[in-house]
Amino acid sequence: MNALAAARSFDDRLNPILVKEVRQALRGRYFRTLFWLTLGVATLIGLSIVAEAGSRGANMGVGRTFFMLMNGCLFAAVLGFTPFSAFLATSAEWDENTHDLLVLSNLRPRQIVYGKLLSALVQALLYYATFGPFLVFAFLMNGVDLLSIGVLLLTSFVACATLNLLGIAMASLSPAKAPRVLLMALFGVALMMSWGFSISFATFVTYQPHELRDPMALPAIVAFVVGCLLVGGLFASLAIARLSHDEENRSSGLRALSVALVLVATVFGLWMELEFGHSEFAWGLQLAVLVPLVMLWLHFLCEPETLGRHVARHVSPRPALALLSAPFLPGGGRGAVLMALHMALGLSAVLAVRLVPGSDKTELNRALIGLALVYAYVWIYLAIPAGIASWFSPKLSRRVLTRLVIIGLVPVAVLLPPLLGLVLGIPSWLDFMHPLNPMYPLKGVISGSSFSRVEKLWLLTAALAAIVLNTPRIARGLQEVLAASRARRSRASSV
Amino acid sequence: MSLLDVRAISKRFGALKAVDGVSFQVGPGQICGFIGPNGAGKTTTMRICSTLELPDEGDVLVDGQSVLSEPRDARRRIGFMPDSYGAYTSTTIFEYLDFFARAYGLRGERRREVLARVIEFTGLGELTDKEIASLSKGMKQRLCLAKTLLHDPPVMILDEPAAGLDPRARVELRELVKALAQMGKAILISSHILTELAEMCSSVVVIERGQLKGGGVLADVVRSVQPTTTLFLRALEGPAACERTLLELRGVSKVRLERDGVCFEFEGDASQQAALFAQLASSGLRPLELAQQGQNLEDLFLSLTEGKLQ
Repeated sequence: MNALAAARSFDDRLNPILVKEVRQALRGRYFRTLFWLTLGVATLIGLSIVAEAGSRGANMGVGRTFFMLMNGCLFAAVLGFTPFSAFLATSAEWDENTHDLLVLSNLRPRQIVYGKLLSALVQALLYYATFGPFLVFAFLMNGVDLLSIGVLLLTSFVACATLNLLGIAMASLSPAKAPRVLLMALFGVALMMSWGFSISFATFVTYQPHELRDPMALPAIVAFVVGCLLVGGLFASLAIARLSHDEENRSSGLRALSVALVLVATVFGLWMELEFGHSEFAWGLQLAVLVPLVMLWLHFLCEPETLGRHVARHVSPRPALALLSAPFLPGGGRGAVLMALHMALGLSAVLAVRLVPGSDKTELNRALIGLALVYAYVWIYLAIPAGIASWFSPKLSRRVLTRLVIIGLVPVAVLLPPLLGLVLGIPSWLDFMHPLNPMYPLKGVISGSSFSRVEKLWLLTAALAAIVLNTPRIARGLQEVLAASRARRSRASSV
Repeated sequence: MSLLDVRAISKRFGALKAVDGVSFQVGPGQICGFIGPNGAGKTTTMRICSTLELPDEGDVLVDGQSVLSEPRDARRRIGFMPDSYGAYTSTTIFEYLDFFARAYGLRGERRREVLARVIEFTGLGELTDKEIASLSKGMKQRLCLAKTLLHDPPVMILDEPAAGLDPRARVELRELVKALAQMGKAILISSHILTELAEMCSSVVVIERGQLKGGGVLADVVRSVQPTTTLFLRALEGPAACERTLLELRGVSKVRLERDGVCFEFEGDASQQAALFAQLASSGLRPLELAQQGQNLEDLFLSLTEGKLQ
């Protein structure tokens, strides 16, 4: 009786979306067809390999081939079919006109996103459970060792979760069908590529299992897992933001995760320096996280300036706390503050490694300057157009246009001098590493060369312009937070 | 006290002003008919009331909760039945309702009780294991109403609930709506079938090109637009005798022959109307039928709106 009560209590606590999605998936044609198809193909391949081995005698090579083929099928299912199913399930909410019902049901957007993720993971676990006997069989055929199997299962499961979140995020981007078809095609390509990468990695692990015992293997696996979880978290935050009410806070989750991204890169860089003496990780990682960060900054800087009526009501009544939380609150001006905070954190990370005794000070000094200059370029390319756009109406179409202009600006700036050089016949302009290229300062880090006076002047002027253009919106953003804080205090006192 | 308080809401879609400063209230136990031509802004207004759209200006209070600053609290108090709603494929009626009951936070025995009650109220009891895809339009409307009732909202917004239903299903739906009003719920209902609305609404809101054209208690609105009452008289002496007699009486106008009697307009309050009946009886006519015609929403609608599209 107690067990029944416990089961009912557990059932009650399950995410409603998980229950619905699993019921739908198990009854739907997509999962059932692909599941039996994958299993059938894997069984046929397995039987043919075993028959081959029976006629020629089993050896390690046969075991490896068997394992690789089974892995291929398993990865196709968990890194292909399952994330695609998550994309379709999210897409169906728009297509079947059920998104409004979800909103009205008062489910929180994060419940919707995590419910869909959990449902996809349940489907993935069904595949793993089904392929378990095949993998054991491969192990018994001496095709692969247990460590390799464990690493492949762990990394594929983490990648599966990340790809599922990517699928959910991409499907949540647009309610209109045409852009979603394009997104689906892009996602399909991404899945094919990830399947290819996973097969390459599995081949590497299967044929060179000793590499997993290398001291650098553990940091690499940890970096992969942490990186996947962080990127997955960003996708989840993006999907949650897309599914939120317009007046609700769509930004703080993404902002907090973006800071976590920089902090993880900082900690990892420090660890690599302390453990292995690799100073280049300190700044290399800060440059690597710039890729997702630039996309996020682009998003934050182009947000509407105002807090929104719902968010304003929840700003801390304490002015100091309100100001501290300001970079994490929605709004373009506050996005600029967050960008400055990220950059300060990135530079502090390199400085911290520089303080470690025995670190390569010369390289780190150059890296520090190089990183600061790359950040200056980011301000120029992102904050100048976003600052100008903030003078105009915060309509969605205008903000999308600003984002597109910014995205197009960098390649144009990078390609323009070489193209002009080609057209005008000036060979010295044909180099892609020129002062308009945001990665130009890295040339100095690598080769030790420094900026010319003209280059310094252009950079300084542009960076100053970016700061001047954004100062009023930053000031307004902070004032709005303080005003919201004051309003909350006065509401509390009137109650 | 009003459960639904719409305060000067406006909404633009590009150059089109879909809703322009609309205000009205619906109280507990009231069924408010929301009428207007196609593209008048009815659905946009209803979606704003349900937190699905944001107004550019104004606010809506649902049982005291603002749809702007506290949308989640407002949603808990509202049951919205959209004109075109989605139903999950590969899902049975029970699974569909069970999902939404879970989503509304109903747990354990309470969820089972609520599901049983709502299924019984909407008459879906024998179909719980049927897949939604195989349901008729009427049954789908019932299912959507059942979903809307799961969290027992004090305010219900029904957008064209009778569209596409056969006469029997319409009558059944009307009875369900009346029963809900008797439970004290505030109901805002839109429909193009104005005779349907006239039979169940206690108040009405008329909207055209996003602007409010009139609204209030149905009888008051009808009186404000149409100061006369339409009456029907049938007597043993025949329609011609009725017409002759009526034309001699004060307050009577627009006498016209209809079926085997006459229809006419009478201007006057309830006591004057009673006096008219007495005069008719004393005039030598032997009335077989004397009835007040229903408040004609179609006439009201035509009087208030201009038929312009936007």
